[in-house]
Amino acid sequence: MSTPVARITLRLRLPAVVSAAVGLIAVMAALGALFPNVGHTIGRLSIPRSVSNLLGGGDYGTITGWFRSEIAAIYGPLVIGALAITGASASTAGEEEDRILGLVLAHPIPRPRLIAAKAAAIGAVVLIVAFATWIGLVVGVAFAGGGITLAHITALAIQLAFFGFATGALAIALGAGTGLRSLATGVTAAVAILGWLINSFAPLVSALDWLKYLSPFFYYAGHDPLTQGVDVAGVVVLGLVSAALTGLGMIGIQRRDLRA
Amino acid sequence: MSAQPVIATSGLTKDYGSGHGLFGLDLEVQQGEIFGFLGPNGAGKSTTMRLLLDLIRPTSGAARILGLDSVSDSLEIRRRVGFLPGDFALYPKLSGRVMLDYLAQLRGGVNPRVRDALIERFGADIDRPVRQLSTGNRQKLGLVQAFMHEPELLILDEPIAGLDPLVQQSFHALLAELSGQGRTVFLSSHTLSEVERVTRRLAILRQGRLVVVDSLENLRKVAVQRLEIEFAAPVDAEEFRGLPGVSEVRADGRTVTVGFEGSADAVVKAAAAHEVRAIRPREEDLEDIFLHYYRADGAG
Repeated sequence: MSTPVARITLRLRLPAVVSAAVGLIAVMAALGALFPNVGHTIGRLSIPRSVSNLLGGGDYGTITGWFRSEIAAIYGPLVIGALAITGASASTAGEEEDRILGLVLAHPIPRPRLIAAKAAAIGAVVLIVAFATWIGLVVGVAFAGGGITLAHITALAIQLAFFGFATGALAIALGAGTGLRSLATGVTAAVAILGWLINSFAPLVSALDWLKYLSPFFYYAGHDPLTQGVDVAGVVVLGLVSAALTGLGMIGIQRRDLRA
Repeated sequence: MSAQPVIATSGLTKDYGSGHGLFGLDLEVQQGEIFGFLGPNGAGKSTTMRLLLDLIRPTSGAARILGLDSVSDSLEIRRRVGFLPGDFALYPKLSGRVMLDYLAQLRGGVNPRVRDALIERFGADIDRPVRQLSTGNRQKLGLVQAFMHEPELLILDEPIAGLDPLVQQSFHALLAELSGQGRTVFLSSHTLSEVERVTRRLAILRQGRLVVVDSLENLRKVAVQRLEIEFAAPVDAEEFRGLPGVSEVRADGRTVTVGFEGSADAVVKAAAAHEVRAIRPREEDLEDIFLHYYRADGAG
């Protein structure tokens, strides 16, 4: 891995990451503050199972259900996924389209090492957002009056980080393998959204239940970290997929011509 | 000069289809040369340079740089070569200083005194974000980064683009110094007069194929020459057309400009039929040489 490449890639992503982190913390603090007033009312609402699944299947009337539905199911993966995907696409295919990668690769740095450094930087982006989620949850749960252990909050942050690693790695693989930013961003976003829908709806149709195994959301949110702790198997799968996709990106860029 | 060329290509080809790319390039550049690589846009100059640096891979043929294979030894080549891409770009939000530090780190560091001397020599602005710099000021950063690690070979794609005349002078002087130190420069241009000032030998490329490689001196010999003849009264320019070797005739009032190849005898004798006030030979520049080969190749 090239440390200068990782450092400058992270530096370029930092403004967006810091904004997102501050926003996440603020939103979670606000959600925590809201829970004592609205949680019990919303908890009495009758929500169809399909909609409930989309929202993480949590019970809004409990503190864990509240944060599972608001943060774990939607807001957390949306923010971490968006930053990982846009960051990975921009720092690989984006830099190639902007003609910066051609200059960098005229220096004595092997292409696979460059991609490894980009992946490390995006991994750092993901860890920062996951840590911000952890802080936000600690603050939000405190505002809500407690009810979720630090261990379970940490479990959610860990699972969220691995979800970010996987989505970022897919964008790295596509960006490095093709040099096309729009393709890397679009396909990865589509996979993430389809994965969310599949994981929510596939279990409702027994014939399609197997599809959930193809969804990154299944491994991220297959079980609730806020009540059950870390899903070790899910995290391992997401970790292996991330490593494999990063490896594919390293091989992909080595085998092709740079576009610009 | 060393026995081994610094750049040697053999049948180097990159076929993009539809006649685009580079085809069968055989070229040698010797140590200490400032070698001009000329051609119109799309002729294959940048493609050649990208092949030499392994940014793209050849369809067939091979290139050896500093005695090393351009594909299998590319890392070592890139360590010893400085490159200025034709479409030089940097991270727009970062300053020139940060960018130069970054690119130096990619090389494991450079001599800060050499870098600072280059910055001063070119008058590069390293404190403002790159997006606030003019094309010329960005190009200065490009030159600094290409030279700052004191490479054995410089591959420069359109290096003078956007530079003001004073910086161009400074650039030309630096090239001469480097050549004197035994370093080699391979530079492309489609603005021919830029190359004429610094190069002794050049190649002309057209539609991906090498048209000619020769010294500037030899190229001048075969180029079209021109005489500007001022008469006492206007004369019929048609008198000069059809004379042996004459390729073009232009009349402007009492002045007729005649372009010809070979001997001037027929032109001078035809002019002598009238009262001649002055005959001025026009020094051929590279533009004429280039156009000569361009036309000759197209006709062929």
